[in-house]
Amino acid sequence: MTALLEVARLSARYGRGAPVLHEVALELGQGEFVTVIGANTAGKSTLLRAISGVGPAVEGSIRFDGRELTAVAPHARPKLGIAHVPEGRHVFPEMSVEENLAIGAHARGGAPGGGAAARLEAIFELFPRLRERRRQFGGTLSGGEQQMLAIGRGLMLEPRLLILDEPSLGLAPMIVEELHDRLVEIHRRGVAILLVEQNVSLALSVASRGYVLQSGSIVLEGPAGELLRDDRVREAYLGI
Amino acid sequence: MSALSLPKRCSALARPRALLLAALAAAAAIVPLFLDPQGYWVRVLTLTLIFAALGQAWNIVGGLANQISLGHAAYFGVGAYASTILLINFGLSPWIGLFVGMALAVVVALVLSVPTFRLKGHYFALATLAAGEALRVIANSWQGVTGGPVGLSVPFMPDSFWMMSYGAPRPFYWIALAALVLVTLVFWWIKSSALGYRLRAVKENEQAAEVVGVNTFRAKLWASLVSAAATAAIGVVYVQFTYFFDPDAVFGVATVSVRLALVAIVGGIGTVIGPVVGALVVVPLEELVNAALQGQVAGLSAFVYGAILIAVILVEPRGLVALFGRLRRGLGRRPGGAGEAGR
Repeated sequence: MTALLEVARLSARYGRGAPVLHEVALELGQGEFVTVIGANTAGKSTLLRAISGVGPAVEGSIRFDGRELTAVAPHARPKLGIAHVPEGRHVFPEMSVEENLAIGAHARGGAPGGGAAARLEAIFELFPRLRERRRQFGGTLSGGEQQMLAIGRGLMLEPRLLILDEPSLGLAPMIVEELHDRLVEIHRRGVAILLVEQNVSLALSVASRGYVLQSGSIVLEGPAGELLRDDRVREAYLGI
Repeated sequence: MSALSLPKRCSALARPRALLLAALAAAAAIVPLFLDPQGYWVRVLTLTLIFAALGQAWNIVGGLANQISLGHAAYFGVGAYASTILLINFGLSPWIGLFVGMALAVVVALVLSVPTFRLKGHYFALATLAAGEALRVIANSWQGVTGGPVGLSVPFMPDSFWMMSYGAPRPFYWIALAALVLVTLVFWWIKSSALGYRLRAVKENEQAAEVVGVNTFRAKLWASLVSAAATAAIGVVYVQFTYFFDPDAVFGVATVSVRLALVAIVGGIGTVIGPVVGALVVVPLEELVNAALQGQVAGLSAFVYGAILIAVILVEPRGLVALFGRLRRGLGRRPGGAGEAGR
């Protein structure tokens, strides 16, 4: 399996501070579902932000589909097939649900033709709540609906890799379950997923492989099932 | 499918308002026929229209892209100086000088935007403020070309449209009105275009816009270039109207940069009618204050700006247009606030 995403010797720091990421190496195959777990401030968000280009300056290499990403402008990365669903959702509050979704297709420069309409339909099928609320402003949705909207907005880019930063943060347990079902469904449709999640047991139950990030370094990696049984993971992140 | 033809739908929704604005413009066009053509009020109203147009030009980058520039005097002054220097030295028509000024302002905007667009909020405002000031200093010291602190007098050529020169203020009223209509149409067109859609995303959440593939820098740059060009063109009309200017008059912070931002902010930032409402309040009020005090208290107009700005921010930060809307709803003429989110 050739890697879709290859991160090698990636280091990042904000200003002159201590490095937030230190020589991180990570790989993700075509259509694979990988999770990165770790405590707060371990550098998980910074890692994702480095991949989508909105983070701090980095050293090292990020290759997507064999192409070096560090020289590609952030707004050009979605065109290559990377969709980042940022932490805290960041929907456009004063745009309707439809407008929020359309901006992705729009920014891509594609003619507003059948392809985009079909994608919109597929997203409404995946998240029926969004269809119900299509004319409502993004800012008036509930937290769970906003998360669905943020994911839908990413899917409008027709990504090959969907990057999700803490999608379950602040959501009710039932909504979290539903969300993870949706992620499995998205993955089943052939989209590779890189998931950062504080809800470690849930993340490891949906992903096939996992990495443990601690103070900016990868300290452990392996199949999700093995990590779930690993004593260190259980003790540090599952509280068992 | 409906979601993907948004810009078109926006402009269709706006059609009744377009008619309303056309009627307003037509009404405004006949107002000076009832006023003394040499008189004080035509002069004040002309100035009001000029600042409404400037506020609208500022609104393109300040309102649509949310880049609060306090340096628009840079473009205004570049237009004024370019056209007047060409007029004095080569007898070139200000209508042609206007295009030269616009082109130069675009170059200045390009040079200023590349470093300043990396800044956010207050930092951006302060950087633009400094840029405008830098040009004022240059105009003051580059005496061979600009005449330095003494300023420039626009050569008077009796009543000629081609030379944009008139003895009475009334024709300038119509020129200023035409400028306002033009800039408003440009604002409107951008607002309902694909660029306007991207600018909305930039305004609401710049980082989210970037990760869904909006080239935020380019969107802001386009808005800035159009805004700069329009501001320069109006600068030409302004100095043809006033006949005389010095670096402080066209590159000043309080006289130009803050005043035209204030016009848009007081009226309603990002709205089509906002700058018009703002200019109708700010400019006549300033005239009244100056007239009442007969120039005894220098610099009081800046104080008045400050007071107006604080009042607006305290009562309704979205400006007078939003305040009117609120009052109208408060009076119950529009019952049922449920439609708010859907619109």
